[in-house]
Amino acid sequence: MSFFFKRTLGATTNLGRYILKSNTSPFLQRIATKTDQAATQVETRPTVAKIDPLQKAHLVDFGKYIAECMPKYVQKVQLTAGNELEILIPTEGVIPVLQFLKDHHSAQFANLVDIAGMDVPSRPNRFEIIYNLLSLRYNARIRVKTYTDELTPVDSACDVFKAANWYEREIWDMYGVFFANHPDLRRILTDYGFEGHPFRKDFPLSGYVEVRYDDEQKRVVVEPLELAQEFRRFELSAPWEQFPNFRSNPAAEEVTTSSEENPKQN
Amino acid sequence: MGLLKKTTGLTGLAVAANPHHTLGALYGKILRTLQKMPENAVYRKYTEQIVRERAAVLQQTKDVCEIEQKINCGQAEELIIQAENELNLARKMLNWKPWEPLVAKPPKGQWDWPPAQQ
Repeated sequence: MSFFFKRTLGATTNLGRYILKSNTSPFLQRIATKTDQAATQVETRPTVAKIDPLQKAHLVDFGKYIAECMPKYVQKVQLTAGNELEILIPTEGVIPVLQFLKDHHSAQFANLVDIAGMDVPSRPNRFEIIYNLLSLRYNARIRVKTYTDELTPVDSACDVFKAANWYEREIWDMYGVFFANHPDLRRILTDYGFEGHPFRKDFPLSGYVEVRYDDEQKRVVVEPLELAQEFRRFELSAPWEQFPNFRSNPAAEEVTTSSEENPKQN
Repeated sequence: MGLLKKTTGLTGLAVAANPHHTLGALYGKILRTLQKMPENAVYRKYTEQIVRERAAVLQQTKDVCEIEQKINCGQAEELIIQAENELNLARKMLNWKPWEPLVAKPPKGQWDWPPAQQ
């Protein structure tokens, strides 16, 4: 009961060779049909991703497990794209949640695959920081999301994952999110002396400066950008809806969390 | 029995001299750390359950291979690492107190997707 990924792990280790031999993996199909009888219809369209209901059930269980274990930090647990588990946490919870996911016996997400950033200027906390973790033990992935604004620092995950060092520098460089207690926070991708954070939505596509080689001075000079055409406000949002087919099926489905039930009782 | 284990096959992971004893000590330490948490902490409940299960396997047999098979979570050396991690985590948890109610509610519309227009 406590190891949600156990059965999946057992199946892959026992039948690893079998699956390697035949790409079709009839065993997984059999699981899918067996557990699917009570659930919804089986996906048969060849171009649509098939969601394994057993794996999905494991993910839902595990999401609830995390929400139960850390009610102080987990705001919401959701599944996106059918089989991607996401934990949404406040800024305070970055270190505890990542440490829990890394060190707990039934999680063991020991690899930090990536840290990503996102900028949505219309929100009060405009930046999202997204941690992608991988558990080699249970062959599972998880995503942890938190939020911040331009001024609030996020705790650096370097103490938990060594790999976080460069990823956080990358985010600092591109979005200007400050990471507290980072050992070496400086720009990493942009040029020496670059100013600004180019992935912010309010950073112009053309940048602020242009660089050219000057023959007289025999060196590269940096000058303020001069555009041949007058400044023009580009309206990027189309007047029509891009994906009307997706209006009725939202990207994320919520895993009910105990943290949401608790405030009602209190 | 009789075969001496030469390597774990994992880089940087040396063969443990006496894994049965090490594991037993670690599980004992974890359980003692968990005792300091409140009774109704869910983290304590689940972790105790996991560690008790593993400690029970340790009590049943002295044979390392059998322990590995019964716990089914890697070699004894990996089990030791897992137990060390859990012990560190449990000690940190005492400071973090994750069983308390939610520390901060998300601002309205923070997790909505697609984001509201303006």
